[in-house]
Amino acid sequence: MAKLAGVFAASHGPMIAREWNSLSAPTRAAVEQGFGRVGDRLRAARPDVLVIVSPDHWVNFFLNNFPAFCVGIGAEHDGPPEPFLRRFFNHPVLPGHAGLGRHVLDTALNRDFDPSMSHRLTLDHGFCLPLWRMGLDPIPPIVPIVVNEVDDPMPTMRRCLAFGSLLKDAIESYPEDLRVAVLATGGLSHFIGEPGMGQIDEAFDRTCISLFEKGDPAAIAATLERDVRHTGNGGHEVRNWVVAHAAAGARGFELIGYHPLEEIYVGCAFAEWRQPG
Amino acid sequence: MRDYWLNKLFFDIQKPELAAQYKENREAVLSRYPLSAELHRAVLNDDLAALAPHVNAYLLRFYFAICGMNDAEFIRRLNELPQSKEQVSSHG
Repeated sequence: MAKLAGVFAASHGPMIAREWNSLSAPTRAAVEQGFGRVGDRLRAARPDVLVIVSPDHWVNFFLNNFPAFCVGIGAEHDGPPEPFLRRFFNHPVLPGHAGLGRHVLDTALNRDFDPSMSHRLTLDHGFCLPLWRMGLDPIPPIVPIVVNEVDDPMPTMRRCLAFGSLLKDAIESYPEDLRVAVLATGGLSHFIGEPGMGQIDEAFDRTCISLFEKGDPAAIAATLERDVRHTGNGGHEVRNWVVAHAAAGARGFELIGYHPLEEIYVGCAFAEWRQPG
Repeated sequence: MRDYWLNKLFFDIQKPELAAQYKENREAVLSRYPLSAELHRAVLNDDLAALAPHVNAYLLRFYFAICGMNDAEFIRRLNELPQSKEQVSSHG
């Protein structure tokens, strides 16, 4: 049987790649340290497969067809389309894990949870920027999971918790002897293309961190469902962290680093859910 | 109120070949999108305030970046827009 080898979260602001060569030394150091620490822990987990939970930033989906959740079940996926990231992260094609992807999808369907599926996703900076900064080499086969966090209506926090629970069960019931890690990307607060862009809502970020530390899924669902409507639109990406929290069994959250970095427009945070044993 | 075709234009223009055509001849590209006269004019005038209520904020950001507006100017114009969200003074 497969084993859940680790659950992690990391922000993914595109300005990190866009402005990498001109970032101030303190911002660059904070970013390097945060991704470095998560990367070290992820490598130590020795994953055979990496499930990445991210939004799609208007690459695969448009208003004519926009799933709440989509599971990538292909053997390959396309690398990032953004030129500013491709110059650092030269992976036109990334490996997928079709077997586990299909098992996650089947597990969901058998629980009356009906995500969309894709046999080939294009993995934008949400997926690939953390891979670049963590320096994973080789990159393990990926099961990408897209959560709609860029346009209303979005899945509820409660539904994200349910998705995380079924993801945990899917991993632990997969018949191959694999070590599987989960990486949630994005968040915490940021404002993109709306008033406040460049500001960080540190109070929102601290609330998120405190909720994950306390662990209570009901409090997470109720509080974030309310608060996310009052912060920047990028804050919706905390849904990925909610999926990860449930995938980790709603326990063991450890903040690795938090830096409200106005220079890259993101409340930049890194975390691991440490599992007993 | 979202305008489907305005969003579609801003979505499509992420493709470098269309962006290049657009920079060459805006009207030629715009003729393929059935925008209202008001939105058509707003696009031609880079009227961010008139466009913002009708388009996804991420797409708005992509569009103006692709068209060459620097972030300082984009943020300045955004901050002249009316605030659409209530700020929460304390988070639970």
